[in-house]
Amino acid sequence: MARSSLGSTLASGLGKNLVPLLFATLCVTGILWAKISIPFLLTDVVPRLSRNLFLVLSLIIPVVAGMGLNFGIVIGAMCGQVGLILVENAGGQGLGALGLAMGLSLPLSLFFGWLTGLLLNRAKGREMITGMILGFFANGVYQAVFLLLAGPVLPFHNQNVLLDGGVGLVNTIDLVGTGRQLDALIRPSVRVSIFPIYFPVATILVSVLLCFAIRWYLRTKSGQDLRAVGQDMHVAEISGIGVDRSRVRAIMISTCLGGIGQIIFLSSWGTFNTYQSHEQVGPYAIAALLVGGATVVRATIWHAILGTLLFHTLISVVSIAGQTLVPSSWGGSQIGEYIREFLVYAVIAVTLALHAWRAKKA
Amino acid sequence: MHPIRFVRVPAWGLLGLLALIGVGCGGEKTSDAPSDQAARSGETATTTAPDAPSFDFKVGIMTGTVSQGEDEYRGAQRMIRKYGADHIRHVTYPDNFMTEQEAMISQLLNLAADPKIKAIVFAQGVPGSMAAMKRIDELRPDIEFLIYEPHEDPHQVSEYADVSIITDNLKRGETIVELAHEMGAKTFVHYSFPRHMSQELISRRMKIMEETCQKLGMEFVFANAPDPTGDQGLPGAQKFILEDVPREIEKYGTDTAFFSTNCGMQEPLIRSCADNHAIMPEQCCPSPTHGYPGALGIAIAEGQAGDMGAIRNAIQEKVVAAGNSGRMATWPVSTGIVGIEALTEIAIQSVQGKVRVNDPDVIVAELQKAAGAKVTVHPFEDVDNYYMFLMDSVIF
Repeated sequence: MARSSLGSTLASGLGKNLVPLLFATLCVTGILWAKISIPFLLTDVVPRLSRNLFLVLSLIIPVVAGMGLNFGIVIGAMCGQVGLILVENAGGQGLGALGLAMGLSLPLSLFFGWLTGLLLNRAKGREMITGMILGFFANGVYQAVFLLLAGPVLPFHNQNVLLDGGVGLVNTIDLVGTGRQLDALIRPSVRVSIFPIYFPVATILVSVLLCFAIRWYLRTKSGQDLRAVGQDMHVAEISGIGVDRSRVRAIMISTCLGGIGQIIFLSSWGTFNTYQSHEQVGPYAIAALLVGGATVVRATIWHAILGTLLFHTLISVVSIAGQTLVPSSWGGSQIGEYIREFLVYAVIAVTLALHAWRAKKA
Repeated sequence: MHPIRFVRVPAWGLLGLLALIGVGCGGEKTSDAPSDQAARSGETATTTAPDAPSFDFKVGIMTGTVSQGEDEYRGAQRMIRKYGADHIRHVTYPDNFMTEQEAMISQLLNLAADPKIKAIVFAQGVPGSMAAMKRIDELRPDIEFLIYEPHEDPHQVSEYADVSIITDNLKRGETIVELAHEMGAKTFVHYSFPRHMSQELISRRMKIMEETCQKLGMEFVFANAPDPTGDQGLPGAQKFILEDVPREIEKYGTDTAFFSTNCGMQEPLIRSCADNHAIMPEQCCPSPTHGYPGALGIAIAEGQAGDMGAIRNAIQEKVVAAGNSGRMATWPVSTGIVGIEALTEIAIQSVQGKVRVNDPDVIVAELQKAAGAKVTVHPFEDVDNYYMFLMDSVIF
């Protein structure tokens, strides 16, 4: 009897955590196959974890509020980029300039987050696809502003930012004033191989602070309201909770965090693609959260941390393992790339399918 | 209720991490050095080329996959055949390089983890190269960076790269329009999209093209095409070209020359020009192998690969058969292959201490050697490590 109960507990645990286990197995297999050393892996994965975690964490609150995965985070990322562009154009330097970029992004994020929230309230049950399409729309507006209005209408003057012709911004902006400011603040290093491994402690601390902040917020009255809305909108409404207001608040918080997260990400990166950096934010952050075991109705801080770690480890490992699998004379140089794409996105598709299957079963 | 579990770490999470660390450490023990891991990743099947010179370092080459740009990929493979996999390591960047830059950095870090790597050739220098150079420079300041066709701002790229070469896009603004005019064009249609127009040299080249058209009494038309990395993807962009070229011809007549700034659009553009008897003066990256074989249905046999003379003859036959002789042209050799060969040779000589990596005479000599044709090289403005090159065209 006890044995059967243990068996069913194990089976249930395995079923619930299938996706992270699958990813962990793939990572371990890849590491073994390509004989990738841990120092090399740490050199690659530690900075990725530090710069991506904030963005992944910013997705949690809308999931708790029952709005699914916030594909509209792309809008927050654009607001963050606007802050960075303004500060770089003004020639801002140092940590203060980075803080100023975050400060400038906040009012924009709040405004556009509010608009997004209003729209999503009119598209209940279809928040994810609406958010995704909204991201495409916002991308068009963003491109039009910075390609056509920057220069003739908006007063940009910095040669590092504006195209020589005086109309439009350059396609890659070198963040000379704000790049690496947070990463370099506290950055001990260990040299165990040809590379030193840097630990961007300050960047990691900011993400850890966000973990505590989210935890604190979700225990407040406002956070509890969000949870209630996420559980059942109808019951929440009857209980006197302003459902629509709570949902708008969740998206506004997520958009603001997305903007700050994007600034942290790009600052760590050191340069940014003016017109496309934000596009990678949604799919990558969402994929990382799903890989950690989250679903469209349930996400925790640990899902975000584990997912970011596993997702970026796999990206690092699979391309190299793919090259080992096939010799270069047979196209091994490029095959790793295809294997990476196939594996990473296949597992994400499986995650979504499993969620749909479980929801149907329940 | 779905509580946020913050303090209680799921047991499987810890187990997974322990397994990862444990296995990783095990892997480290069996690995003598990072170079071992690097050396095993992919190139082990190819042995040292018999005529390879004896130097004890490696050059890394990063190109796109064949679906992004076959010329560069083949150029890197040629270098492996010439020097052997123990001297040349080849990796590729993601097809969707604009949004998957983390993956690109991983590939480059993997190259740099090999202590024998002393130089890396980027072909092309897609957006993200600057960030990658910054990151590698922090870890391995001894590595030299050589870039073919940088996409990022010339002044900014020059701060991180040791040398960059690119087709002379500014001068081509004149030469392409002049060639089109010689071939009988009265109108010049320029296909591009905002992301490309935000590239300094492409944007300036378009202005030069417009001015040259005015000078020669031709009409200049800017046609906005969908960005292949946008929501419609490459198929959407290619479909647009196939549909739009006949529309433009209907409007301006067959004496219209077409030009597109995007590699993926060349095949449908060439096909449409051949089918509709329009003028195709040059591709974005001029080469007999860029777009022409696919567009005209030319099968390149195994023995023909890299034989530019044979490929040019095959194109000539197809263009004549399509009744469009004298209205289609390109450069005699592939700039992608030539660029990679020249930069790899310069990298080897520079690491050996024989030449200065940004010496213009060396760049001219190596480009001409790789091309087997005359190449003109100009520095970009006042930058002493950013060079632009030009070749004469062949008209089919």
